[in-house]
Amino acid sequence: MATRIDFASLSLMDALDLAILIEDEAKERYEEFAAQMEQHRTPAAATFFRLMAHNEAKHGQELADRRGQLFGGLTPTVTRAMIFDVEAPDYDEARAFMSPRQAMKAALASEIKAHAFFVAALPALKDAEVRALFEELRDEEVQHQTLVKAELAKLPPDSGLSDEDFVDEPAAQ
Amino acid sequence: MSATCEFQAKDYKSDLKPIWCPGCGDYSVVQGIYRAMAAIGRPPHEIAFISGIGCSSRIPGYTTAYGFNTVHGRALPIAQGIKLANPDLLVLAAGGDGDGFSIGGGHIAHLIRRNIDITYIVMDNQIYGLTKGQLSPTSQKGRTTCTSPYGSLENPVNPLLYTLAYGAGFVAQASPTDLVGMAAIIEEAIRYPGFAFVNVQSPCVTYGEEAQQIKGLKAISESLKDLGHDPADRLAAMDLAQHYGSKMHLGVFYKNPEPPATYDAQIRERQIQLSQGALPKERILDLFIKK
Repeated sequence: MATRIDFASLSLMDALDLAILIEDEAKERYEEFAAQMEQHRTPAAATFFRLMAHNEAKHGQELADRRGQLFGGLTPTVTRAMIFDVEAPDYDEARAFMSPRQAMKAALASEIKAHAFFVAALPALKDAEVRALFEELRDEEVQHQTLVKAELAKLPPDSGLSDEDFVDEPAAQ
Repeated sequence: MSATCEFQAKDYKSDLKPIWCPGCGDYSVVQGIYRAMAAIGRPPHEIAFISGIGCSSRIPGYTTAYGFNTVHGRALPIAQGIKLANPDLLVLAAGGDGDGFSIGGGHIAHLIRRNIDITYIVMDNQIYGLTKGQLSPTSQKGRTTCTSPYGSLENPVNPLLYTLAYGAGFVAQASPTDLVGMAAIIEEAIRYPGFAFVNVQSPCVTYGEEAQQIKGLKAISESLKDLGHDPADRLAAMDLAQHYGSKMHLGVFYKNPEPPATYDAQIRERQIQLSQGALPKERILDLFIKK
């Protein structure tokens, strides 16, 4: 089973399937983060991560609909083993008792990371339709960054104190 | 034996939600295990997942396999008993570096020399996290903790060299810096017919040092495949294993190209041999009657 993406030979169907897998991975990671926050009584960050999971699911569904219209039920040839942490926040971005600001910053970093992935892939693409799709996805990541930045701007300014000034370390389990 | 239906990673995920600290490396380890289990394709009821005590030893509960969160340091003997009692089960054992190399350290050698068909996954975070940050067997020399306020005077155990030196047929290292690679390594370890050891550098987000967090580990990661390492070369594996603590080599260090018979298979064979000459039940006491 191939575990690396051969961008040069990527077909439009493969590209759409990859994009769906990327959204799925991000959705699952945000759900995991939300569950972690709920377990650690951090409801504000959990709510934000649930919102991000919902957004990723929505994008994934839009891509899946498009894929369905173009290629019906053809079996995908790309797998989850070909991607890791493309749009999903890194596992170590989660922290006990993270504030909504920290949660949003983690999401923003993920959108920047996803944008970088599509930018880096573009020079290797040979198929014009795949290139157009990747450019579209790249631009969407910029829009997502703008949305997260707008949400960040609505938050009250930082106190300048770190979480360690307020909270105890997580209780022994 | 195994069913033919296909399983997905989510089929191995239990309803129990992990309570590790957010950011803990073990979140990614459990995902790697789900993926490896799905790739193997054995139904959850054919898998027994045994652990000791510690943060990482909670892991069996987060899977749908049969699980036993046993006592400190005793995952391996219990896993061995389960495998010998029911050799058809796929048996995994897991725990932390403290559980595996301190109180449980004596057991590893015996499972290796017997070559029991078990995959042992150690989530090595170089600290006792559950008990709030004491020195563990793999803590670096000089490490300051609540039990070593002036810095540790002890050299760490090298889990890779340790298991290679005892003669393990499969020794590998993985990390949450590469979840896809970790899942593939765990799958390969499970498929190896014999005792397989996987050391996973899984950072403790609460008591671990900054350099041991995922970003720090990424900076010192090197794929053994990219280095051109031949996993059949045991001496080369031992040479590379010496870098434990300074570099993080990811991949299979050693895989015996000609795996010897497992202990469980030999026992089964002997049982078949002995059963041929065994007395019928009604004459079993004849053995004790002097003629």
